[in-house]
Amino acid sequence: KMSVPDYMQCAEDHQTLLVVVQPIGIVPEESFFRIYKRISAVSQVSVRDSQRVLYIRYRHHYPPENNEWGDFQTHRKVVGLITITDCSSAKDWPQTFEKFHLQKEMYGSTLYDSRLFVFGLQGEIAEQPRTDVAFYPSYDECESVEKRIEDFIESLFIVLESKRLDRATDKSGDKIPLLCVPFEKKDFVGLDTDSRHYKKRCQGRMRKHVGDLCLQAGMLQDSLVHYHMAVELLRSVNDFLWLGAALEGLCSASVIYHYPGGTGGKVGSRRAQGGSLSAEAGNRHRPGRDRILIFFLPSAHFLSCFVLGALTSNGINADTSAEIGRAKNCLSPEDIIDKYKEAISYYGKYKNAGVIELEACVKAVRVLAIQKRSMEASEFLQNAVYINLRQLSEEEKIQRYSILSELYERIGFHRKSAFFKRIAAMQCAAPSIPEPGWRACYKLLLETLPGYSLSLDPKDFSKGTHRGWAAVQMRLLHELVYASRRMGNPALCVRHLSFLLQTMLDFLSDQEKKDVTQSLESYTAKCPGTMEFITLPDGLKLPPVPFTKLPIVRSVKLLNLPTSLRPHKMKSLLGQNVSTKSPFIYSPIIAHSRGEERSKKIDFQWVQGDVCEVQLMVYNPMPFELRVENMGLLTTGVEFESLPAALSLPAESGLYPVTLVGVPQTTGQITVNGYHTSVFGVFSDCLLDNLPGVKTNGCTVEVIPALPRLQISTSLPRSAHTLQPSSGDEISTNVSVQLYNGETQQLIIKLENIGTEPLEKLEVTAKTVNTKEKLYGDFLSWKLEDTLSQFPLKPGKIATFTVNIKVKLDFSCQENLLQDLSDDGISVSGLPLSSPFRQVVKPRVETKPINPQESSKVGDFSHVKTLEAILNFKYSGGPGHVEGYYRNLSLGLHVEVEPSVFFTRVSTLPATSTRQCHLLLDVFNSTEHELTISARNNEDLILHAGECQR
Amino acid sequence: WPVLISVICSPPQNYPLYIRSIPTENELKFHYTVHTSLDVVDEKISAMGKALVDQRELYLGLLYPTEDYKVYGYVTNSKVKFVMVVDSSNTALRDNEIRSMFRKLHNSYTDIMCNPFYNPGDRIHSRAFDSMVNSMMMQVC
Repeated sequence: KMSVPDYMQCAEDHQTLLVVVQPIGIVPEESFFRIYKRISAVSQVSVRDSQRVLYIRYRHHYPPENNEWGDFQTHRKVVGLITITDCSSAKDWPQTFEKFHLQKEMYGSTLYDSRLFVFGLQGEIAEQPRTDVAFYPSYDECESVEKRIEDFIESLFIVLESKRLDRATDKSGDKIPLLCVPFEKKDFVGLDTDSRHYKKRCQGRMRKHVGDLCLQAGMLQDSLVHYHMAVELLRSVNDFLWLGAALEGLCSASVIYHYPGGTGGKVGSRRAQGGSLSAEAGNRHRPGRDRILIFFLPSAHFLSCFVLGALTSNGINADTSAEIGRAKNCLSPEDIIDKYKEAISYYGKYKNAGVIELEACVKAVRVLAIQKRSMEASEFLQNAVYINLRQLSEEEKIQRYSILSELYERIGFHRKSAFFKRIAAMQCAAPSIPEPGWRACYKLLLETLPGYSLSLDPKDFSKGTHRGWAAVQMRLLHELVYASRRMGNPALCVRHLSFLLQTMLDFLSDQEKKDVTQSLESYTAKCPGTMEFITLPDGLKLPPVPFTKLPIVRSVKLLNLPTSLRPHKMKSLLGQNVSTKSPFIYSPIIAHSRGEERSKKIDFQWVQGDVCEVQLMVYNPMPFELRVENMGLLTTGVEFESLPAALSLPAESGLYPVTLVGVPQTTGQITVNGYHTSVFGVFSDCLLDNLPGVKTNGCTVEVIPALPRLQISTSLPRSAHTLQPSSGDEISTNVSVQLYNGETQQLIIKLENIGTEPLEKLEVTAKTVNTKEKLYGDFLSWKLEDTLSQFPLKPGKIATFTVNIKVKLDFSCQENLLQDLSDDGISVSGLPLSSPFRQVVKPRVETKPINPQESSKVGDFSHVKTLEAILNFKYSGGPGHVEGYYRNLSLGLHVEVEPSVFFTRVSTLPATSTRQCHLLLDVFNSTEHELTISARNNEDLILHAGECQR
Repeated sequence: WPVLISVICSPPQNYPLYIRSIPTENELKFHYTVHTSLDVVDEKISAMGKALVDQRELYLGLLYPTEDYKVYGYVTNSKVKFVMVVDSSNTALRDNEIRSMFRKLHNSYTDIMCNPFYNPGDRIHSRAFDSMVNSMMMQVC
């Protein structure tokens, strides 16, 4: 029973002669295969003096039990043996030669001829010319190997021809031996050898055999004729196994005729290469000392002369004459498949012919693949899958699944191919194998990727909808992870797991998300994930997998500096800039340049050395808290010191703002092109270009040279009031002060240079805002010269600046005061209180004590008036000043002004004249201070705190 | 009797829009079966490509038999595929029954597509479709 199938077989192999090349003794593997390669290059030899071509199939390993099927299909028969041996001393020679003979016996019954190549032996023995032995001083000095092989093949041909003619001529003779396959032998014991049936069977089988020999000898048409005859004979005696073989022979010959390019795929190219090589080798080696060998041709050569002579004189054997049209003998492409089917069905009747059936299936599939009949091919393959050979070894299983995969690939069934390759991969690491081949498993798994529409580049999954069948893709990725872990390659393991998490996130269940991240974290604890390409031994590069979905970033916004730090351009310079750009105020052409939104420049600037901010809106798609560490910006253009942040996002958070900061170290254009993170121990660089659906307001901003930074502190308390300035400027600091009307207070402002550049210039302006009040006199006044004398202010130094605040406000005509007056119940007829007459800031100096209840009433702050002003500090210095930039710092001043006096009572006293009267006012000093009231034509009145006078 | 019904998105995505199997354990095995069957579907479609597209039969017939299952296929004009896996030993199911089941499936799928809130390519979450598939599975089992 033949047990070892050759899955690589194809129909053309039927025309080849099988030559086994083996080492004997100890031959370095590398040297052996170097010679083997050279030998197997001679796979196609044109026989001298004839049009025929001989094809050779070389094997370095061939199970002898397969050889026993050589009569059934002659291409299975080992007809040539080449042994390679390493022999350095003449002493070892007899032993070596003995081994050669032993080796010959192994295939003895079928060998036509054999050769021994001895390497390393020099001297007397090597000088003896022999036909069956060639001596070479070393593996590097053996130019004539190819020539020797050609001669060897020629000798094989001569034997083949003689056998062919021998078998072909004794037709219908009385003593045709019955050819049989190994398992038949016992069945035929005691069979009637004289019966017609038996004879026909012998004839048919022999016919088939001759067909095989013709095919091998390069006589395709003859072989077709023989096969046809064999089919007829064998069909009549229901000799199914051999009928199958005859049909298959017919198919093989027809395939060779129809598809000269070959059906084996790789074989075709090898053949072409071999041909050219042998020709070249021939050209190279024919002249020279190798010629000597020709004088000592083997005895077979004499025979060949005879045979060839016989051939040319007698013509082709009578049976195979041109009586049957040649084209008719050859099967049509459709018939080939039908006959294959028939043959396979006959093989299927014999359990022991499993290998033959399987190989026939494989051969038929190759033919169908060439014919592009995938559906039928898949049926053959389906059949092949179910052929049960015996208990296969693990290695054989792998081989079987691999070849099924290859064949499915060939017919374009990529998924099926991937399926079988994956099974082969799993088989490599089956638990029953003592040393699981995780490397082989991994390699095979990688090969299945295309079949599952998977690539290992995360970019392929970043755009559009998911491609492929996620459930099976995930499974494969898990297997890759596992295999790489078992291979002891944690980096690879992390890479695959990262890829799984990144690309399959949408398909993972919550539990799976947890499991995957947990194992990822445990792997990264030993080997953190990086952004480096991982190069596999076979050259495949695994691109890095940035976690662009952990967290998902929805928008990226570059933020302007805080108002107080924003740089401004000197007006004059700005004007020039604009005018040089374009002569037009508006041009539609500008609109066209808006295409590149990402690269669009933003209309504010960042300053060298100052902390700049970028705001990201992110969210966490995971069902658990996501810790993002070391999150920072990726920039180009300007040297940028990123200050990474760590954040923790709650489970399935909504949009969450994250501010990333950094300090530009040089000046020029800076482009924020991404961010980096470290999540679950995997470092990711996420480039915005690769992120779909991220909104930005532009990513390029200009960084201007460094400017000093000014910090203001004042003698006054900070204010809760924030001023809303009209100009859009923001106030950095607000201070407030409470003053009584008429009071003057000094505001001492400390100017501290907290930057790194010297403060060289300072301009101060003030602006009163929001005031409907009538203001008397200078509200704010200062002397800048005192401060400027301390300039330039070195970093860290403090200068002081004094501002005088003086408030003089009109407090008349206040509603509640009026109320008080009317409550008083005193008629002031003819003198409406609202008359302008009363609206005097400094009222007349008549005082009157007031009762305490009323004083508490008026003590209310409802009379308080506010004054607001902004002090603007324009300052500059350092390189930024040279470039014409300055900074603006505003100090908001909130002054609450309380009236210092109240008129608590108004009454009139008749005066001496009826046209006049005395107006009596009760004046109350609501301050804690002594105050002086002065009125026209009257002397000053001094009021002490809380005093009330008339 | 185990049975599986699936709807698969048109190329190039080719992912399942809907997949239901009885029993539910070992579903991955069914996934592989259906996934590999797409090779046959592709092949059958490309073979039919030569014929008139409009007149072609949507029912693809038996895609391939395995030891335990028979895999049937059906493809709409928009290349959405329906694949059904049934037990090989379930002899009650003839070609005609399978064909009519696919028709029902197609009609139900068309209803889903008519839903203005359904985006083509989204996984199918429809109670009507579920109940239709349920009744179909009851019939087969």
